[in-house]
Formats: sequence, structure tokens, C-alpha cells
Amino acid sequence: MLETSLSMSRARAEINTEPGAVGPSAVPLTLRINGTVRTVAVAPHTTLAEVLRGPLDLTGTKIGCDRGACSACTVWLDGLPVASCMTLAIDVGDRSLTTIEGLSDGDRLHPVQAAFIEHDAVQCGFCTSGMVMSCAALLARNPHPTLDDVKAATGGHLCRCGTYPHVFAATLAAAKTGRG
Amino acid sequence: MSPRKPMRQEKFPFGIAGVSVGEIERQVPAGEAPPLPTNDRLAVIGKSVPRINGRAKVTGAARFTVDIKLPGMLHARLLRSPHAHAHIVSIDTQAAERNPDVRAVHVITDVVGRAIERDAGTDHGAGVHLPPALYVGAPIAAVAAITEEAVDAALGLIKVDYEVLPFVVDMEDARKPDAPAVFASPVIGTGFEGRAPGSGEIAQHGNIRGPVKAGARGDIDAGFAEAEVVVEEDYRTQVQTHCCMETHSVVADWRPDGLTIYLSTQFTAGVRNELAEAFKLPRNRVRVVVDAMGGGFGSKSSAGNYARAAVALSRAAAAPVRLALDRREEQLDSGNRPGTFQRLKIGARKDGRLSAISLYTYGTAGTATGAGVGNVAQAMYECPNFASEQYDVFINAGPGCAMRGPGNTPGAFALEQAIDELAEKLTIDPLLLRDRIDASPVRHEERRRGAERIGWSGRHAPGADKGPIKRGIGVAQSLWGANVQTNASCEVRLLRDGSVEILSSVQDIGTGIGTVLAQVVAEELGLRPQDITVRIGDTEFPAGPPSYGSRTTASITPPARNAAYRIKQMLFEIVAPHLNVAAEDLLMRGGRIVARSDATRSMSLREAAATLRTDQIGVLASRSDDYGGFRRMMTDAALAQNDLGGVQFAAVAIDTETGIVRVERFVAVQDCGRPMNPRQIESQVQGGVLQGISYALFEDRIFDRHTGSMLNADLEHYKIVGSRETPDIDVILLENYQGESATDAYGIAEPANIATAPAIANAVYNAIGVRLRQLPMTPAAVLSALGRIPRGS
Amino acid sequence: MQHFEWVSARSAAEAANAGTTTVAAAMVAPAGGRVFQNAVIVKAGGIDLLDLMKEGLLQPRRIVNLRGIAGLDRIVEQRDGTLRIGALVTIAQVAASPIVRERYAALADAAGSSASPQIRNVATLGGNLLQRPRCWYFRSVRHHCARKGGETCFAFGGENQYHAIFDQNGCAIVHPSTAATALVALDAKVVLVNAEGASREVALENFYLLPDKDIHRENELKPGEILSTVVLPKLSPGARSLHLKQGEKDSFDWPIADVAVLLDRGAGGVCRRASIVLGAAAPVPHRAKAAEAVLIGKSVRDETARDAAHAALTGAAPLTKNAYKLPIFETLVRRAILAAAAM
Repeated sequence: MLETSLSMSRARAEINTEPGAVGPSAVPLTLRINGTVRTVAVAPHTTLAEVLRGPLDLTGTKIGCDRGACSACTVWLDGLPVASCMTLAIDVGDRSLTTIEGLSDGDRLHPVQAAFIEHDAVQCGFCTSGMVMSCAALLARNPHPTLDDVKAATGGHLCRCGTYPHVFAATLAAAKTGRG
Repeated sequence: MSPRKPMRQEKFPFGIAGVSVGEIERQVPAGEAPPLPTNDRLAVIGKSVPRINGRAKVTGAARFTVDIKLPGMLHARLLRSPHAHAHIVSIDTQAAERNPDVRAVHVITDVVGRAIERDAGTDHGAGVHLPPALYVGAPIAAVAAITEEAVDAALGLIKVDYEVLPFVVDMEDARKPDAPAVFASPVIGTGFEGRAPGSGEIAQHGNIRGPVKAGARGDIDAGFAEAEVVVEEDYRTQVQTHCCMETHSVVADWRPDGLTIYLSTQFTAGVRNELAEAFKLPRNRVRVVVDAMGGGFGSKSSAGNYARAAVALSRAAAAPVRLALDRREEQLDSGNRPGTFQRLKIGARKDGRLSAISLYTYGTAGTATGAGVGNVAQAMYECPNFASEQYDVFINAGPGCAMRGPGNTPGAFALEQAIDELAEKLTIDPLLLRDRIDASPVRHEERRRGAERIGWSGRHAPGADKGPIKRGIGVAQSLWGANVQTNASCEVRLLRDGSVEILSSVQDIGTGIGTVLAQVVAEELGLRPQDITVRIGDTEFPAGPPSYGSRTTASITPPARNAAYRIKQMLFEIVAPHLNVAAEDLLMRGGRIVARSDATRSMSLREAAATLRTDQIGVLASRSDDYGGFRRMMTDAALAQNDLGGVQFAAVAIDTETGIVRVERFVAVQDCGRPMNPRQIESQVQGGVLQGISYALFEDRIFDRHTGSMLNADLEHYKIVGSRETPDIDVILLENYQGESATDAYGIAEPANIATAPAIANAVYNAIGVRLRQLPMTPAAVLSALGRIPRGS
Repeated sequence: MQHFEWVSARSAAEAANAGTTTVAAAMVAPAGGRVFQNAVIVKAGGIDLLDLMKEGLLQPRRIVNLRGIAGLDRIVEQRDGTLRIGALVTIAQVAASPIVRERYAALADAAGSSASPQIRNVATLGGNLLQRPRCWYFRSVRHHCARKGGETCFAFGGENQYHAIFDQNGCAIVHPSTAATALVALDAKVVLVNAEGASREVALENFYLLPDKDIHRENELKPGEILSTVVLPKLSPGARSLHLKQGEKDSFDWPIADVAVLLDRGAGGVCRRASIVLGAAAPVPHRAKAAEAVLIGKSVRDETARDAAHAALTGAAPLTKNAYKLPIFETLVRRAILAAAAM
């Protein structure tokens, strides 16, 4: 039997299920965010976006529509861009989370961040966090993207100010520096 | 009679770079900085300096109003009408007030933003005047509680007794004589009034208010009698919502010694004044603050009902109160661009000279007035005879307000297509026709450059392409009054350690004005932009201009330059004795003060500042009138002699079998006086074009006639342009030196948005030989125009 | 969102035993009544559930989390040549799977063009097939429509530009899943596991229900059943498939029309078998049987493709605002047939 397994080969502990259900009131959650471990107590109906912006004070992630339609709330879950407004915090488990705050290393900007500044891929800035996360994720999996790849990677984002042309230029430039 | 201010004579560069730049002599007030040369001779101004708040935004560190948390902060929400039209018989807030998590409840008795009935004081028997609910989502009351969840629960505890009334949400239905009346009595005007004057005695019959007849000139009947060719058509444009990515949001902090309000706003100083008046506080006890701001596009120009409610709650609860609209509320009740119907008739001679233009238009700004179509028809082209008649039609929908190029944007959709049609009837190339009838030398140059860049000479006859994919090229122009806020000030300070800062209440709504201010001050003081600390977005600082009307740059950069110039003069006076030269001999360059006559006589700015007697010196400056005079003076603002403009070219591909319109390439040629930061300006122009593409092809507010609800109050079925709809947008910026101010710079946001939809519509016509006169140009609209939709369906 | 309890299931059987209701059952309320407050529902990716809950349309008492159940997230080729895709495989994983791309291109196409990258990374194939309609009346808590237990379909005589052109039968929704369009064309089956551990296989085409069968639900999933697997048949070596989607926007938009075509041609390019399915056309993925009949026994040329495309609209009964879909479908069907023939 030929087995083509597509389970992500990430280190993953057994799902830590309680013997029974938890909630509806607050439940302690341990989250691995930006390389550190944080603990919060939140009710099961709390979204990841709410937890990040609320008790964890990581307000870099923005909520634009709260329905997964604009991608402003994009974070990485095990390196994959996801809409944090459409993710329940309790569902994260021990997968690793990366937010915009975790992309730069102290004062050193991620190449995509530096390129966004250089190419003025920012206007009001509200969609920027999510946009950067999508473009950085693209370069992590595809160091030599075409313009079409960049458009596909940013296809879920809404930017009312119209930064798309400069976002494309910045991302392609960051790829060319080879450090993306 | 006030004494004449001392003036001096100066020579300024004058003309369009690349065409011809000469000189013009102006009389300028004595205290003004000397003329700047053209950008190629400047170190920092006119260069694409990286946005100074770019790092904060790309790292998520930028603080938006929705990010603010204050100790003890309460959460608030508005209770909104579920009905499209209802009298409020009574409101019982007792259960909400008794809820242990609730700290304050506020009933809204004075609404802002919409038109007010003449007989608004009518008491419906409740004892207290409660304004009627006039649209689904109308704000009724507000609650502040200790958590967001508690607020949601508390809203449910407020009992409202509604007397539901008939409503109307369709503009054509609202015009019918038997339509339900949106207002019980004629209205007397409102906050923002678009381009059509909305106050004073204007007739109102049912839901139709007007006519307003503006800009008439000549003899319209005679003009049409002279015409050898006439074009007359109807056009329709849709309601468009702003879709700011950061919704309207506020944190109000009422304290015994004053009110501080964090607001996502386009006008800190204006809101400060509004709230001071509304809450009977001295202005200097009201502070408005905004750091990063997630888009306004005209919708965040004043203190709306939500902000006033938050302030009232904060006062009642003696605690900070946060209120942020969710996306549905934002779509329902944060303003919108009015929809329009326009019947535009143009008469011309065979050689193209226009003899008459008449415009009959009605539009809807929901429960507000101001659905005019601006002044493009009367101002863009030379025509001796013009008449217009404009009407507002009320419907039970959220009040409209200014949106990027209000009036002119829908107006240009009609005008620029009509001119295109006229050109075809006259068998004159559309650009050539404009060369004949458009007196503006700036737009002439813009046409020339854009035509070359887009490849206009390769344009074929309409519908000429074989095969299902048909391509076309179209052109359209924009015109926008160059507004200047004369009430605009800033302060530049030099501290004893040599640090320099500029302070103004002006706000950066994404345009990068902070960076531009750093450039202006740096240029004047021989420093680098990163050496300047920019403190803006706070009414603790001198009151700056609003960030609407494309006026920010024109309004605040001259004060910044003048303040920097005068600080420099002050410093020279102080330093000259130390260097043993005359103050007039000094200049600043490379962070140093240097004597022109002897370069060895110099000191660093830091050394110079160390000689200050006190910790700082500062200069507060505003701006003079434009040196060549203004066209018109208003309160706090004025209209410059020359309009801003632009010419835009669209290259589209239509799939005639699916109706899909794709914009493949776009060229935007724009002018803004002296461009201060080309890359930031390019961002803005691209943004305007993208909003224009979105307006042309995708956006539409959909109401359900039977329930009066907006069906697409979200970002899923309300469709805005995304990455795959983004074409190559080539931006060409003219440097148009006019010698009008200390920086000679103007704005660009709106001119970049006005021509886009008609450029696309004209390109569509060129592609398929059929004209679409209604927005948005959806697949359904294209297929219908091509006759591809089966009959009997 | 309202509060709920949360439990993670360790297996499909455990989930099936958790006393679950279908989402459809949990969303039906009599006129003037409130939605069922005591529901226990399962969650896979959670995308559709979170949307329904945030809109106040679904207020479960408890959510049983399926994500992370071992064994349901694999794509496994069987010895008999069929392909079994676990219900928890994400849409992104389906789109990226080499074996899906190679053998069942229509599914790879449909998955790759769905939603946004963010949604695709989380949404599961099972959840995608079971998602509820996007009709803006259905998604509005302010409109108690027929599908939710009310009396009226607001789309008739209302804003129906995005609604069905076939088989409206009292409710004008279009089926929301583009993966379903492709899978019906590919003759897929779904495996449903119940609380006793028994499983049944149903052809996906039969799994979906027209409104006249049951207006309150789109499929015949029973309470307590878990959709565990999608099974794709072994196709003949000559079979080719593709899926075309047309939105009003190309980036992140629902389709106004989507089409899946499977062609199996023998010697001389003669069509032995054709499957033509229209999505965003009817309350269920719509098999265009008349179109298929045109192709059988013929080689595919421009003319046959044109005739088939025309026949695909047989029986179409557009509403007041959606007749524009007809020429779009005709175009997509023709183009898909020609493209499949060229593969």
C-alpha cells in the first residue's frame, strides 16, 4: 500500500485532551509565541487575534474585518500564514506561533521589512503587519518567486490605501538580495 | 484699516520642469523664507526619503487608536436601530444601568452627520426629544462596561420601544410621489455638504431637495442653439463606502482637568474645537491625539456620534472609554460616497469648440445632503454657457460624507465619457479635442507625456480586435481645487544639545506628511531628515491643517519652512559674534554653521546650540497667502489660483465571453506643484488609481428593498481591489513650479482618484465599441451591453 | 461569539459518540424562535463555524474538536488505484499534492483557487464539502429565511445576482464548495462514520440534496456522523480533468460561475465518458447531463464543445438578476471541454 502521508512532520506532542470538556469559562492556555512560552487564561470562544491583542499585548497583529476576509490578522502557525481572527486560541495547541513582533531580530529587520521601507510599501500601515507576514512566508518557502507568485501569496489581503504595487516590488527585491 | 505688511520682491522658478522653467517675480511678506530653487538643486526636498514611521509600521510597533489601552479603560458599543425607519417611543435603560458590569449608559439625543429636520424639536410624547431612527444601524444609545463581553450583554438589556414606519432604500423609489418620507419635515442642512451647497432655503418635496443651481454662466439656450453637434446621455454612479482598514475608533478619557481623546482622525485640531464646543469646555482643556491612523479617505474628518458618545460615557463613568466600530457598523454608518444620476448635455462646433454644457443631476447621500457632482463639468473645459441643476434624494440609509474627490469623482465619470463621445462624433482624436478645448497648459503636458507612455498612437478603432479578448486604451482627466488651509501652524524648536524638532497637530493618515516635514526642516537647516524629530498628531502642538481635501502638504510645509528659516536666523544672530562675522554671512550646511566668506569660520550645530541662553529656542509659524493671491477665501481655508489635475490612461482587456474587465496597464500623469517626496507621492497616486479601479469595476452597496438592510456590510460581498486586480501603474509626476509659497507644494490624493473610472470606461468603449454609462462595470453590465444576456430572463 | 465548552476528540469514533448534531440541525429555528442553544457540533478547520458563530447564527453549547485526530489527515493511494483523502487534509495540502495534481487535476485546480492562502492553510476538505451556503440572506441573523426554518426565501424577487439558475425549488442558494464541483465530476464518494464505528459510502453527487428534498440542509449527513474520508476512483489512463473558476474579482472572491470537466477519450480521440459539472449554479453541484450526452461518441472539436456548452444550460431558469450567469457558464463549459481535450 503506497502511502503518501501529508501529515506535517513537525514535532507535535499528543493532543492534550482533558478527560472531559473545558470551558465555557476561562481555561489556562500555554502558547509558544515568537520563541517564548506565554500562559494566559481565556475562554474557549476567544480567538487567537483577541488573545494576541488583549492579554498578550502583542498589538502588531490587527483585526480588519474579524471574518477572514481581509487577512490583516495574518500570523504564522508552524510557519504557515493563517488568519488569527478565524483561529480559536484554544485550538493552537503546541504549534508554534510567529507574529509580526517575532519577525525581526532585535534591531535587525527581516529582509522583507527592510524592503517594505525601502520601496515604500506602506501607507497607513494597518494592513502592513499581515502583508509582511505573507510575503516573508512566501520567501521562506520560495526564495525565487515570480510576480505571479507574489500576487498569489498576497491574494487574500485587502489594502485600501493601495500599496500592492510597492509590496510586489519590495518582495521581489527582498528575494533578489537572496537573504529572504 | 490694518497697516500693510512689509513685503519684498523675489524671483521664483516658474514653469514645468522638462518643458520650460523660467522665473516669476512675486511680492512676498518680509518674514518669508527665500525662494527655493528647483528640486534638482536641493539636497533633501524632492528626494524619495524613506518614510520615517516606516519601521514602526513594518514591525507592528506603530500604535493605532484601536491598539490603545489605558489603565481602568472601559469598553463601549453603540446600540443601533434594527429598523430602517422608526420613531423611538421610549428607551428604558434601567436594566442596563443596574447591571454590575456596566459603568455608564448614554442615550443619544443629538445626532450629527445627517440632515436635521426643520421641525426636529417635535416631541413624540416621550417627554425627552429622541431623534427618529432613519436607517438600519442608526445609533440610538451607548453603553460602557468593564469588558467587551459585558457590553454586548448590556446592549441587550436596553429596551427600546420602536414605532416602525415605512422606509425606502432605493433612490428611484424614493423619488416617486407616493414614496415613504424619510424626513417628517424639510431639512435644513448638515455637516459635510459635498460640493452642493446644502444649507439655507432649498425647496424640498417629499424626499427630493433642490434644485441647487451652481456655476451658471452665459445663456444656455443660445449656447445649444449655436451647437452643430450635441451629445446628451445619462450616467449612473453607485454609492461607495470608504472601507478604511482601521475602523472608526476612539478612546475618550474625561478627567477633572480636561478631556483627552485618542481618535483615528483626519483632523485633530478640528475635532478638538468641535468637542470643546459640544461639551462646553475651553479648547485648551481638550486634547486630541492620533499616532498611526488606519485610513480615512474623507470619513474621519469630524467627531461623529460614536466619538461624542464615548466622551459622554467617559464623563459619566469617570474612566477612559474605548469604542471601536466593527466592520458591519463601519459599512452601515461611517459615511459613504453618494450615488448619482447625471444627464449631461454638451453642445459643440464642428471644430470641437464647446458652446454649451448643461447638467441635470440627482443623487443620494442617504440621510444627509451633499450628493452633488462637483465642478468638473463647469470648470474643466472652456465653454461660455453652462447651467446645472442638482438635487438630493433622501433614502433610509447611512449619511454620506466626503470620499476622496467628492463630487468630482462621479462628475468626471460622466463628463470625460461625454467628451470622448463628442470626439468620436466630430471624428477628432480625444486628446486632440482636449488640446483644443482645455486651456490648462499643465494638463496639456500631462496628456502629451501620458500618451507617449501608454502608446496612444497604437490605439485602434473601437471594437477592432478580433477574437473574444478585446483590448482598448482610454484617457480621462481630473481637476481638483487646490485647497489651502490658511489656519495651519507649526513650531520648530532647537534644543541646547543641538536636537531639532517640529511640532504640529497635523496628522499622518498614511500620506507620509511627517517625513515631508522632516525633509523641509532638514533642507533649511542643512541637516539630514533623520536628524529632525517630528512630533505630530497632537493638539498640544500648534494647530495644523486637516488631512483631507488634498491640502495637507500645501498647508503645513510653508509654515514648517518659515519656522525653520526663522530659527536659523535667530541662531545666526546668536552665533555670529562667536565666529566674528555678520549674521547675514552665515549659512547652514552638513550639520554645521559656516561663514560664506570664510569657510574656516564655522561651528557644528551642536556647538552653536550650546551657546543658547536657555534650553531651547522655538519659532511658531503659519503660512501667508499664496504669493500670487488666492482665487477665493473661505473660513480657515482658501482656494489657490490654479487647480490640481491629472491625466490618466487605462489599457484594458475585456473578455467578451465572460464580461470580465481587466486593467492591464495604467499611466497616471499628475501635478502637485513641487513634489516633495516622489516615492511617497507615487504610493498615493497608485492608491488613488487602485481606489478608482475598484470604484469602476467592483464596489457597490447592495440594499435589500424589502427589509431595508445593507446585504453586503462586510468585506466579502463588498468587493474591493486586491492583488490580482492590480495592474502595472506607471506614475509620472510633473514638477510644476508656480512660485506661490515657501515650498510651492500642493497635494495629490484626490486628483489621483478622479480620472480613473472614466479612463477605464473610455478604454472599455475603445475595446468593445459599446459604452458603459453605469458603475460598477461588472461582468453582468458588460454582458448586457454586448447583448449577450438571453432575453426573457 | 457566545461561550461554549471545548473538547478534543482523539478519534473519529469518539467524535461520533459525542452526541453531536449537524450544523444544519443546530441552525434551524421556528419562526420567531431562537436557534438551538444546546447543540454539540464538531469542528475541523473551523472556518465556516467561526463565521456562523460570529454572525450569531449558530450558538453551540459544546464544540468537539476534530483537528489533530490521527489518521484523518492523510492522502493515501490504495492498492486498487483509488485515492483516499482524509477529511482533515487541508485545502492547501490538497492543492499541493502531486498525486492529486497528476491524476485529479480538477480537484487540484478547485482547491488551489479557493478562498485565500490563509484560509486554505486551515480549512479542511471535509469542512469545505460540508460548509453552509454563502447566500447573504442565509448569513444574516436578521433574515429568518426558509432554509433556517422561516417562511420566505428572500432571494426570490430580491437581490439574487449571486444565486441559483437551476432547481431553486423554494430556496435559491448555490452550493458553496468548488471542491464539490470538481469531486462530483470526478465521481468521488464520501465515507461517513457513525457512533457505532460503522461506515457507509455515498457518492458525493447523491450526498447533496435539492431543496425540495429537504430545504433545511444541503447534504444528508446524519446527526452523530463524521465525514471521515473522500474517495476518488481509479480513472482510466486517458482521463483528463480540470476546473475553471470565475469570480467577479480574481483575488479572493466566491465564484459567480465554476465548471469541472472530466473527459475520457479512447482511440481516435472519441469521447467515452464525460462529466460536466456546474458550480455556483444550483443548490447542489449541477451535472449537465445534456451536455455530457452531446460529447459521448464524438471527438472533441470546437463545434462539439460549443454544442455541449449550449446544452449545459438546458433547464436553466434564471431569476430576476442572475441571467448574466448563463453566457458565462456557456463560455466556461466550452473552454473547459477544449482545455481538457488538449491536456
